[in-house]
Order: sequence, then C-alpha cells, then structure tokens
Amino acid sequence: MVPGLTETAGPLERLITMKTAECEGIEETGALLAEACVARVESVEPIPGSHNVKAVVDAGPLGMKTVVCGAPNCRPGLLTAYVPLDKKVVQGVESDGMLASGAELGINRDHAGIVELGSLEGCAPDAAIEIDNKSITHRPDLWGHHGMAREVAAILGLELTDPARLDLLPQGPAAVTVRIEDFDLCPRYSALVFENVTVQPSPLWLQYRLTAIGLNPINNIVDMTNFVMAELAQPMHAFDADLLHGDTIFIRAAKPGEAFRALNGESYTLEASHLVIADSAGAIALAGVIGGGDSAISEKTTRVVLESANFQASSVRKTSSSLKLRTDASMRFEKAQDPVNTVRGLARAVELLREISPGIRLVGGLADEMREMTAPPAIELSLEWLERKMGRATEPSEVRRILRSLAFGVSEAQPGVFSVTVPSWRATKDVDIKDDLVEEVGRMVGYDSITPRAPLLPAAVPPGNAARRFQHDVRNLFVDNGFTEVYNYSFLSEEAARAFGLDPAAHIRVTNPIASNQELMRASLLPGIWKNITGNARHRESFRLFEIGLEIHRREQGLPEEIPHLVAALYDRQDGGIFELKRVAECLLPGARTVPAEARDYEHAARAAEIHWKGAVVGRLFELHPRMVDTGRAAILDLDLRLIESLSGERTKYTPIRRYPSSAFDLSVIAPLREQAGKLEGAIAGFAGPLLEAIQFVRQYSGPPLVEGTKSVSFRLTVGSPERTLSSEEIAAIRTTIIERMRDLGYELRV
Amino acid sequence: MLDESIQELASRCLARIAAAGSPEALEAVRVDAVGRKGALAEISKGMGKLTPEERKRIGQVLNAAKQQLEAALDARKQEFGDAALRARLDAEWVDLTLPAPGPRRGHLHPITRIQRELEDLFVSLGFTVLDGPEVETEYYNFDALNMPPDHPARDMQDTFWLDGGNLLRTHTSPVQVRGMEHLGPPLRMIAPGRVFRNESVDASHEHTFYQLEGMMIDRDVSVAHLLYFMKTLLTAIFQRDVTVRLRPGYFPFVEPGFELDIRCLICGGPGCPVCKHSGWVELLPCGLVNPNVLRISGIDPEKWGGFAFGLGLTRLVMMRYGIDDIRHLQGGDLRFLEQF
Ligand SMILES: [Zn+2]
Repeated sequence: MVPGLTETAGPLERLITMKTAECEGIEETGALLAEACVARVESVEPIPGSHNVKAVVDAGPLGMKTVVCGAPNCRPGLLTAYVPLDKKVVQGVESDGMLASGAELGINRDHAGIVELGSLEGCAPDAAIEIDNKSITHRPDLWGHHGMAREVAAILGLELTDPARLDLLPQGPAAVTVRIEDFDLCPRYSALVFENVTVQPSPLWLQYRLTAIGLNPINNIVDMTNFVMAELAQPMHAFDADLLHGDTIFIRAAKPGEAFRALNGESYTLEASHLVIADSAGAIALAGVIGGGDSAISEKTTRVVLESANFQASSVRKTSSSLKLRTDASMRFEKAQDPVNTVRGLARAVELLREISPGIRLVGGLADEMREMTAPPAIELSLEWLERKMGRATEPSEVRRILRSLAFGVSEAQPGVFSVTVPSWRATKDVDIKDDLVEEVGRMVGYDSITPRAPLLPAAVPPGNAARRFQHDVRNLFVDNGFTEVYNYSFLSEEAARAFGLDPAAHIRVTNPIASNQELMRASLLPGIWKNITGNARHRESFRLFEIGLEIHRREQGLPEEIPHLVAALYDRQDGGIFELKRVAECLLPGARTVPAEARDYEHAARAAEIHWKGAVVGRLFELHPRMVDTGRAAILDLDLRLIESLSGERTKYTPIRRYPSSAFDLSVIAPLREQAGKLEGAIAGFAGPLLEAIQFVRQYSGPPLVEGTKSVSFRLTVGSPERTLSSEEIAAIRTTIIERMRDLGYELRV
Repeated sequence: MLDESIQELASRCLARIAAAGSPEALEAVRVDAVGRKGALAEISKGMGKLTPEERKRIGQVLNAAKQQLEAALDARKQEFGDAALRARLDAEWVDLTLPAPGPRRGHLHPITRIQRELEDLFVSLGFTVLDGPEVETEYYNFDALNMPPDHPARDMQDTFWLDGGNLLRTHTSPVQVRGMEHLGPPLRMIAPGRVFRNESVDASHEHTFYQLEGMMIDRDVSVAHLLYFMKTLLTAIFQRDVTVRLRPGYFPFVEPGFELDIRCLICGGPGCPVCKHSGWVELLPCGLVNPNVLRISGIDPEKWGGFAFGLGLTRLVMMRYGIDDIRHLQGGDLRFLEQF
C-alpha cells in the first residue's frame, strides 16, 4: 500500500510511536522463510527403531538433499518446504537441513506434519509492529492496515495506493433483499451473493499474513473475511446461502428471549436491546459481534452471502459487553467505523475470492441499503489559532501538505484561514473541531519542534486550602510526637465492620468488589488501624501510628458524606499509653476535656471517653478491649478532623499582663477512689468565684492515713484581680467559701 | 612598738588564713582578726592614749593591715567557692551516650512526602490545591470529561461501581471539572488524591493508588506552556535537568493529547532494562483541555484554553525510593514505613 517504503521495522516503529500511536514492540515472523525453498520428496526410507524417516528431496536450486524427518505425512512426491541448516547426525543418519511444518515456518499453526504446498510465493521473513490498542481507541481507521499505511505514507512523504477497486462491484439487481428496521442502529448494510464456491485451505501467503497478526487460518472464505477486516478495518461475515431461509435479510432488534447459537458454539438468549441479522426463520448473526453457527461456512458450502455492514458503535459495545463477547468485529465497530467502507470491503473481497476460490461467480448485483449520508461540514482552521495552541508558527504550505497527506481536503477560504474537509473514515467520531486539526498538524510537524516557554501571568497568591493545610499540620504534630503515618484501603469486609459495631447494611456497597472481604466502603478508620496494630505487634513491643483518611457515610441521596478522620494508636506490650495519647490530643486541642463515656463493645469497659472541645464532641479516646488485642495494650484516639477544623482558627486576642501580683494556695479534697478529678476541679472552680485565675491538678494520693476506699486530690488555685492586690483576708475568704461549699457537697478537705 | 605588734599580728593572721582547711575555719580566722571584737579591734581600742599624730599614723597602719587581711580572706574564700563548684560539677557527671527519653520522631508516609513537595512547588507557581470526593458520580468521572456512556475509553478504566449508581473515581480528573465549575477561568489548580481501579493486586498493580491532577486555564495556553510547566515540575521532582518529549496519546478530555516521556534517568538514553531499551520512560499523560470539556464546565473555548496533566504519585514514589512492591504502600508495616 506504500510502494516506496524502505524503512525497516525498527525506525518505522519509532516514527509511528512519535507521530501516530504507541507501539508495543516488533514481532519478527517467518525467519526460516529467508532460506526456505520448495522441495519435492523423491524417496523415503524408514530408519530402524525410530518413527523418523530418511528422505531424499529435490530442493531445486539447492540440489538433492538427504534429511531426517519425523512428519507422518512425509511421502514421495510431496511438495514441501526445505530449510538449509547445518548438517547434523540424527539416529546415525546425516541430516542436511530440514523439512518444515507450517508452524515452524510461521505460516500457520499446523505442526502435525510438514507443510504441503504449491508455492512459497508471498512468504518471506517479515515483521509485525504491535500497536497499543488503547492509543487508537479514537481512530476507527487505524484498526485496519490500510489506515496505518496512510499514516506511514504521510510521515515519510510517500505515495499511498488503495487496495480496494470499486469497479469490481457488480451492477444490476441484487440477489438478496436487505431490510433495515432502524438506520440509527444499522446505518448501512451491503451484501453480495456468490456461487460455485470452493471451500478449501487458503493459499500459504494468506495463511501466513493472518498468522503473522495472530489470526488463525480456517478456510479460504473465512480467511478472506478476516483479511479484509485486518486490511480495511471493515468486519465482514460469510453465510452459507443454502442454509438461509428466504432471500431477505432483516436487520432488526432481537425478540426478547430469542435464542441464538453462535459460531463459537455458545448459545445466547437475546434481549430487545440486541441487534440481530435474521432470515425469515430467525437470527443468523449478532450484528457486529459474531455470526451464527447454523449458517456457517463448511466444506459443503457452494453458495455464499457475504455481508459488509456498518453498525452503531454504542449498540455493538452494549451488546458485546452485556453478553461478555468481545470479537475482532465488535472491537472495530465500537470505535465507530465508516459506513462508506462497506462497499470497499466487498470490492476487495471480489478480487480476493477470484484468486483463492477459482471458478467463483457473482450472483446478481450489489445489495446496499443505507441511510442518506451527508458530508460533515468543513472545519475552519486559522493559522493564528494553530499558533496560539501549539506555541509555534507553522508555514501555510506545511499545514496544507500535512493535512492533504492525511486525506483532508484543504482550501484557503481567506488568507491565513483554511477550510478543511474531513475524510469519511475520520469523520465518524474522531475529527470534528479545529482542535482535532491542531493535533494532526502538531504530531506531523513533531512536538519536539516546540520550545518550552513560560507564560506571562499576573503574580497572585493562589486561594488557600485551609482543610488540607490543617490536615498537614495535624500530620506534623503526630509525627513530631512519634507517630508514623499509615495508609489503609477504603474497603472493609462485613466482618470487620461488625467487629467495630457497625451495621454492614448501613455501608455503601461496592457492586463489583475485587474480593468479598472488600465490599464495603469504610465508615470508620478503626478496622484498618486495628489490622495495623495486630500486624505490627508481631514484630514490635511498642509503637505509635496514625492515619488520616476519609470515612464514607451513606446519605439519603446524592454523593455520600466523606468526613476526614484521624485515628492514632499507641501500642505497648506492657503499659497502657492512653494518657500519653491524651497529652498529644491536647496539643492539638488545647483546653479539651476528656469525658468518661459508656464503653462500646470493642472498647475497654473502664477506659473509654469522649473528647469535648469548644462545646462539641470531636472524638473518642479509649483503650481497645483486651479481646481485640491480646498481646498488649492499645490506646486509640479517633478525631473528626472536619469538625475540629471548623472550630479552629479563632483569632487570638491579646489581654494585658496583670499589674498586680496573684496569689496561689493548695487545697486537697478527700473523695471516693473512683471520683473523677475533673468533676472535683469543676466544682472547686465554680465555688472560687470570679477572682480565680487558674486551677491546676497537683497530685492525688491514697493510702494511710486516709480511710481505705478514699483518696486525696490536690489542686493549686491562683487568684488575683486586674485592679488591685488581693488582701490576705480576701484570699482567706475565697478559700473558706470553697471549703464550706465542698463540705456541703459531702467532701472533706485536708487543710 | 605598736607598729611591730600590728605587723606581727597581721603575719600571724595571714598564716592562719593560708592554713584554714574549710570555709568554717576561715570564718573563725576572720572573726578573730578583723571581727568587731577581733585582734585589730582590740588594738584600736588602746589608741586613745596616743598623741593625735601618733594616732593618725597608727590608724593608717591598722587600716592597711585590715585591708591586707580582708583581701587575703576574700581570695581564700573564692578558692573555697571555686573548689566547691568544681566538686559539684564533677559530681554531676552524666553518661551522654545514653538515649534520650521519650518517643522518637515518627514518619510521614512516602506518598504524603512527595505529595507535599509537589503541593509546595505548585503553590509557589501560583496554583491552588483542590480536593474532590473519592466517591464520584458518573457525570464527573466520565461524562463531563468527554466520555459519554458507551464511550470505548471507559473500558480503559476498570471501574468500581457502588450501589446507588455512583462510583469510585478512577482518576483525579473529575476535580478539573469541579475546579472549573467553582472557580471559573482563569484557573491554576492541582488535585492530589486517592483513585481506584478494579484490578487484581500484585507487586506492580494496585486497586488503590494516588494521582496528582494539574490544570491551567487562561487566555492563551499553548503546548509550549505545557512543556514549560512539565519541565519545571520534573526538574523539581528528580532534582536534576530532565529531557522530555511529547508524543501523541489519546485521552478524551484533552485535544491534542500527549504521552510525556522522560529520557531514562538510569541509562541516560542508550537503553537499559528500566526503559525497556528505548531510552525513554513514559511518565505522564497530558494535553490541551478539550473544548468540549471547557464548554461542559461553562467556559467558552473560543476565549479560554488550557492544559491538563495527570501525574501518578504512586509510581513516582516507587521510582524515587526504588520500591519494588507496590503493596507495601498500603500494607501498614512499620518496618517499611519507618524508612521514610
Ligand atoms: Zn534506560
């Protein structure tokens, strides 16, 4: 298709990668074909004690050769392929070269015996460049070799020849009638009828080409349809005409529940959303996906209906994904193929069939039903726009040359503005705006011709992201205090949710999870941290870790709520670290109160509290229940960072340093052992009145001489006034008031 | 006569000062010599009998002796003080090779580290850092990015679907759309975050990984500008000058779309196993924002243009630290995490 091509596969692969699509590698094919030649087996002699035979062959220009061969079909008179190799002795016989199977030569996958052939014409070592499918998702034309040839010709400035000769299409009334129910789903359906068909293996050149691109040669008719598909990106299908009912082909929606047996031997139950090709008896093909088993080509076939159609991309994609059936045809159709291409495919088929099925005859003219096709509007492309987008100028002549080499029609509507028409095979989905043309020109001039340039921009402070900054600050605080950051998955198992008292039904569920233990979206970070604790406890006696991540909670409608949480854990084989964790929490939340709370099922029954800060419950501090971690103690802090961030950030206001000295005195309260110091502190602070500056826990004590079951809790109170120095009488009065009021509450004070 | 006894007294006292073995003994000497009832005081009491001239002279002699003794006392006292301090310092020896109490500093996750580096870099270039939800709608994850239903590009991204019809974002690109909607043009933003693909996990594949999306929308944004920012970014990331190249790549939300490769940092170009012998390593997809995407987000593509890119943070972290198993990143093993 590119007659002037001289580049070898390596440089070509690099050019295609840089200008068209990503290549994944080069596969050398048919290496042995370099020296292979047709040879005739002259005589065959058994080798005693071996299934191998000693054969003498006439290798034409290479002369008579004696080889050892193990193929069951090695017989006198056979034309096969001889490959000269170094002489070696096999089972006492000197073997000068070898006779090769189709698989050894790379022609087909047959390794049951040596190849039986007429000629090796068209079989030479070659290379297949593998293209990454993902990089041509938008290019229906590149799903055929001719499309890639056009790219190569454009890249190298060479001429492109067209393998399809439309003059080969027959004239006159068609032998089949085509009825399209919905032209949206099937914009065009073309068909030809052939008779006097011979179904036989394809010539080796055809087998070789299909094998080289990973297709399996089957028979000449099927191979031809695959060849045209690979060459022109036009999927085709051949029906055995004698197995069809009636002479009308219907393209219609499947009937709900309609049964269909496909070529692959599988049976499918269809739905109304599936498009089928049908005869008067029922579905004969799944449109754009696969043919039917009941009308398949076989050795008995003598008449063929050849389909070359165009189907709506999304309909094919839906059908193929709902039936989990991806075929070479469906992969092409779902990229939005060109309806113009159907008859080109048929024309090419006519030419090929004449060669590979000698005596074949066309019956009637071309059947061709289609929706009216309108040319897409021309695209205006100004050179100024092109330069603005690329960041470099391009000569008008260069733009014109590039676009024309890719088969765009170019005229200069006004100076500096081109009017560009799009070839039909690029117009289905790929190119419809001027930005698409920027790409065409850009890739062909080469992006390496563009010099990086800093934009001119106003100097401005970008809007901040307070929530993210806050989270980074929290990370710093915890890392500074010895905690190491972990990342856990967002998925949970039902079991893990239940272990933390969470109802699996309340979670958002993944409908296609990787595994059944990853089917819930985490509504808590605790299960992940728990796993980290038990995992690391196997190697460490003591550690600190934390995670900042999103809790995901179901909402009545719309997107779920995603709440950033911090969960920090402090594990030690012996000591509980809950007070250390409380200290770090207070670094983040100055003035926070830890309020004992009823323990949850997974919490230590006597060591669980809520964290109160600025009037809100912002989190929990607890020790894990010993049943959850039996090797040591794990203290856990769980904070709602969104809430905390919303409460943070008050401006600090300065208060003048007091001019008059304050005074301090201590008080010790005798209380039952389990009385909360926080409660006592609150009560004392309340009784101290407005002159109290600060109250601080000093120590607590239990033991002699105190009564058993009691403790003494000491506080230091600082009192003062901004207006004057308090007299010793005033200070004594405050102290006395507190003592009396505490006694009213039933507490004795040690004075 | 009197002069002599003063001299004698002074030298006796000086000898006692020198011999004093403790601060207490020294104090006793001071009381005896220059105290109110000490020897010098006794002598001055007897001066009443002297003539005025004599009294004046002896007074001077006494004064000189007193000053001499007091200086000696002070010096001796200082010696005792110095010795006591030296003894105290010596007694306060500690073994400074012992470990300090308290916890060691913890460690940020390596992804956090690299993400912060990039956030700082982009903020310094005038970009704002945006967040988007991890659970996304089909609209933001696909439709608004020019991937309508049944678009074949959706197949490239194996998607986790959630009950209720939402999905886990397969890329950080939805934040582009949210950013355009909320902030409008001109706009410079990045969006680092967690993304999900329905893939089986092995040493090099994860279903949960991290990306950093970047976008700039302004009056005139060209491929040349994109190249400038990419080079700046990559030079900062790899802390050396990097050679980049753009080649065509298809992503529905950009047009033209590129794959950006960098010259292999291991071999520098001739080819090695890391670059699969090509001399180049594919690093990030990028491109000029597709006008359809701008339009969907309410921005006029005739007036505004932009570029966008997506950087794989997970892959970057693995490249930088030479991590050979992606599963470590979410494995929670401190033996791994403490290395960063
Ligand atoms: Zn390399």
